[in-house]
Amino acid sequence: MARIFNSMRDGIGFDLILVGAAMVFLLALAGLPLVYNILMSFQQVDMFTLGELFRPLAGFTNYVAVVNAPEFWLVTRNTLIFVFASMAGQFVLGFSLALFFAQKFPGAATIRGLFLVSWVMPGLVVGAIWSWILAGDFGVLNTILKAMGIIEAPIFWKSDPNFSIWAVVIANIWLGLAFNMLLLSVGLAAIPRDLYEAAELDGANAFQRFWTITLPMMRSTIGAVLSLGLIGTLQQFDLFPALTEGGPANTSNVAGYWAWQMSFKLYDFAKGATISVMMFVLVLIASVVYVRSTRHEVRG
Amino acid sequence: MTRPYVPWFLLAIALALAAVYLFPLYWMYVTSMKSGSEIFANPPTFWPVDPDMSIYPSVWVRRTMQTYLWNSVLIASGVTAITVILGTGCAYVLARYRSGWIDFGLFMILMLQVLPASVMITPLFVGFNQIGLLNLPRTAVVLAAAAKAMPFFVVLVRATFMSVPRELEEAALVDGNSRVGAFFSIVLPLARNGILVCAILTFMSSFGEYIYSKSIIQDGSMQPASVGLSGFLGPNSSDWNSIMAYSAIYVTPILAVFVLLQRRIVSGLTSGALK
Repeated sequence: MARIFNSMRDGIGFDLILVGAAMVFLLALAGLPLVYNILMSFQQVDMFTLGELFRPLAGFTNYVAVVNAPEFWLVTRNTLIFVFASMAGQFVLGFSLALFFAQKFPGAATIRGLFLVSWVMPGLVVGAIWSWILAGDFGVLNTILKAMGIIEAPIFWKSDPNFSIWAVVIANIWLGLAFNMLLLSVGLAAIPRDLYEAAELDGANAFQRFWTITLPMMRSTIGAVLSLGLIGTLQQFDLFPALTEGGPANTSNVAGYWAWQMSFKLYDFAKGATISVMMFVLVLIASVVYVRSTRHEVRG
Repeated sequence: MTRPYVPWFLLAIALALAAVYLFPLYWMYVTSMKSGSEIFANPPTFWPVDPDMSIYPSVWVRRTMQTYLWNSVLIASGVTAITVILGTGCAYVLARYRSGWIDFGLFMILMLQVLPASVMITPLFVGFNQIGLLNLPRTAVVLAAAAKAMPFFVVLVRATFMSVPRELEEAALVDGNSRVGAFFSIVLPLARNGILVCAILTFMSSFGEYIYSKSIIQDGSMQPASVGLSGFLGPNSSDWNSIMAYSAIYVTPILAVFVLLQRRIVSGLTSGALK
């Protein structure tokens, strides 16, 4: 007994307690639910069996029902548009801003820091603000676009089926842009200056320097940023209830919000769990890419 | 090569970019100061004709924001406390050793970091329901949100611990400190700033937590401000000056703290953590 106590105070036991407490907590509140989720996706869950653990098994009927649901392909298409358009927008704009703020001028660091406020904003508030900016009849974005001569008639961003998913994409790009820019700025700052000087002496122009130095040196950062962007976009939820609630007629619904609707609007927990499992597989693929791109960091 | 006016030209562009990017925030404050008829003016006015702040106290009272914000503070404090207490020790151990097991542990934590809350909420809700935790909804939300926040915290704080020189801890051990003593009197103080920055970030992000609270807390007097906002927000909302005033009251404290500590937070993140 004394030996165990001593080890807890002054040996490997101390480490085991520290790491064990966190691991037990995470397993109980993230690992177990994940397993339970998979279990539920193969069960019949309704209001009567909600309190039980062993419910009638359903085999793959939940999966079949989800795939055969009329909105399944629409939601899949929306999820893909949402993920790839958000990522592309965040990355391209974030990279441009990071390159711009890597130039030397007074106040560069401070102004760049201002961009980061979007990062600490609650998602729901961002959704509320964009919902007002994108409003069809009195929204300020339509006014600005009209004044610039880009559009003739106002676009009903949130209620036009052709634009509703893009309304959420725009808000999500704004929300995630700053984080992309910050990560890419860190990567840019790590490139040795003398590489550029040498290339300049050799007569390389700005485009050639970007193509042959910046991009290759940034490869692992770009990999990490893209996979974090993918993960972050799949995690996005708050913008949907604030902007469109998945509507009109599911034209802006994505997998995450659909799963939530199944469970908490229709109380069909089994289907909610099924969609979650399918989405989890997608996230798993993304995170394998992410871990591969951070492997050098993990191994130190 | 550098002409004297180039930096100032760049500064002007930077300010313009920042103005465009921060326009949504400006629009939130401006809209909240407009009258009910002015918000529907066409074309919209970019500065309120008659700035009026009286909507702030009325929204505060009408929407019982005091209760909502207090719940948000409670939930965010709980999440931050659990995350810091459990996460710091975990990060320390993960930074101290190098082995296959540590890599495996880190991999598991990274995997938990990527789980969307919308995937976790269904099993968490049913599970909490079964063990009766739904009767303590705020505690349930704190536990769920802490599990969501912890992986990110561990990864960031681990990087902070990696930058604490190993020799200092070893010297303390040679001087007769126990492991516990060395951890609390040497390692923790040296990593204090990094931990503090990560704790503040955890607090800020859980202050805006929405999905768990919305799904788990049914009782209006226990809901946080995000759920309170969703109560009068939807595709057909029209009460825009109240919504913007509510949003402004909600986010201004976070924004103020962030702007004050911005330099610290950014340098804390960029030095090591995000490399």
